[in-house]
Amino acid sequence: MTAEPVLQVKNIHKAFGDRKILEGVSFDVYAGEMLGLIGPSGCGKSTLLKIICGLLAPDQGEVIRRSDDIGLVFQGSALLNSLSVRNNLALALDGRNLTKKEEDKIIREKLELVELSDFMYASPTRLSGGQQKRTSFARAIVNDPKIILYDEPTTGLDPVMSTVIEDYMIVLSHQLSAASIVVTHQFSTWTRTTNRVVLMFEGKIVWQGTPEEGVKSDNPFMQQFATGSREGPMLTAKI
Amino acid sequence: MTASQPKEKRFVSPLQIAEDQMLIGLTLLGQVGYLFWRTTGYMLRLQIDWAESTRQGYMIGVKSLVVVGITALFTGLAMSLQISRELVTFGADTAIGGVVSLALVREIGPITAGVIVAGRVGSSIAAELTTMMITEQIDALKVMRVDPIKFLVVPRYTAALIVIPTLSTYAMFLGLIAGIFIAKTAANVPPEAFLDSVRQTILDRDFAVHYLKSIINATVIIFFSCAIGLNTRGGAEDVGIATTRAIVWTMISIFILNFVVTSLTYAPR
Repeated sequence: MTAEPVLQVKNIHKAFGDRKILEGVSFDVYAGEMLGLIGPSGCGKSTLLKIICGLLAPDQGEVIRRSDDIGLVFQGSALLNSLSVRNNLALALDGRNLTKKEEDKIIREKLELVELSDFMYASPTRLSGGQQKRTSFARAIVNDPKIILYDEPTTGLDPVMSTVIEDYMIVLSHQLSAASIVVTHQFSTWTRTTNRVVLMFEGKIVWQGTPEEGVKSDNPFMQQFATGSREGPMLTAKI
Repeated sequence: MTASQPKEKRFVSPLQIAEDQMLIGLTLLGQVGYLFWRTTGYMLRLQIDWAESTRQGYMIGVKSLVVVGITALFTGLAMSLQISRELVTFGADTAIGGVVSLALVREIGPITAGVIVAGRVGSSIAAELTTMMITEQIDALKVMRVDPIKFLVVPRYTAALIVIPTLSTYAMFLGLIAGIFIAKTAANVPPEAFLDSVRQTILDRDFAVHYLKSIINATVIIFFSCAIGLNTRGGAEDVGIATTRAIVWTMISIFILNFVVTSLTYAPR
């Protein structure tokens, strides 16, 4: 890890109308590190991810990025169905003024990484959910970004495919030495793939540490989230 | 557990509803204006994806040929029948061609093509773009630093500017054929006499107004449906709402602007 963080999130506040979504969230992410942003649904994880990649502006605070090359893996893959797999990836290369041959070389290379080079000219609609997710991975890394963001990468996938996707995340993170943020609430994803986790609740960070510390933590928020218990400060669920 | 309480009905005054609707309308007009400004900016700098524009031309134009053709043909048949009947009563059979063609060139051609394309294409564009918003495809474009306006709106508008005037001409042509057929069968006016009457009546200005209306229709259809599509969020239900909104706004705007153009170009002075 280098001394200087690739990404700094400083005191982010965001509200939609009267509803406060984020209240003073701050953390740093370093090259080669994979940070897990975890928490229950509606705690502001995805909003924070959108602020980090510039899709939303914060009401207060700032995001400092050492690199403008960002790859984002969307929860629903977000592939453009009117384009082939190749052209979905080519879109991300648009500003680099490459020849078609150069584009094809890069695209094939990235598709090989996710074992989808045979589907280069297929329509995304013909791919399975797992293949679409892997195509989304290839698109996110086509420019060798220094920051990779994953929004719920394993949600909706079966356990086997989740493991496959998690393995890709680990491999890609090492290959690119990128600073990665994984938004998830899947136990296996944050325990297997991340170096450090940040637990959010109602727009605030309530705990942070390594996944191993998280599993053993006696912090009531972390304990409830890690064990999936009904009783706790996040929600006392009754049937 | 207590029984659920009935929801309290809140009275909303008609004035409040009118104010809300006006605000929604003004917001949409602002979005349309912004989209028009940005799109024409790209087009003037010739930053146009011609391959995608061709694909859109096929989707908007070629796929509308049958439905526009059938509508124009039957509108032409019905209108010619009415006109022929009245003119025969007054002994003005030879004017049938002129009157039918005037109606076709000035009003029926652009309106028929405009309304049909608004229904078929405007709704599909609004639904497609709303779905892209909901499934984060637009966000994906922004993250890849691809401007959704350049990528999605510019090719559609470029295509529409070419194919909608062409569809209007096609509608006008089919209406004219319907007129010739009715004039011959219902009023015994030979095709030569019909076309003679057309030549004597129609002026170059009529064609200019015809194309002006077609271009306005293309602009209205593309920008209202794209503005609604690109500014809708939510779920599956919102796709339906956006589609309906797009059709309502484009249809109303087509008829209002058609009247405005007619009143500016043909009103008695």
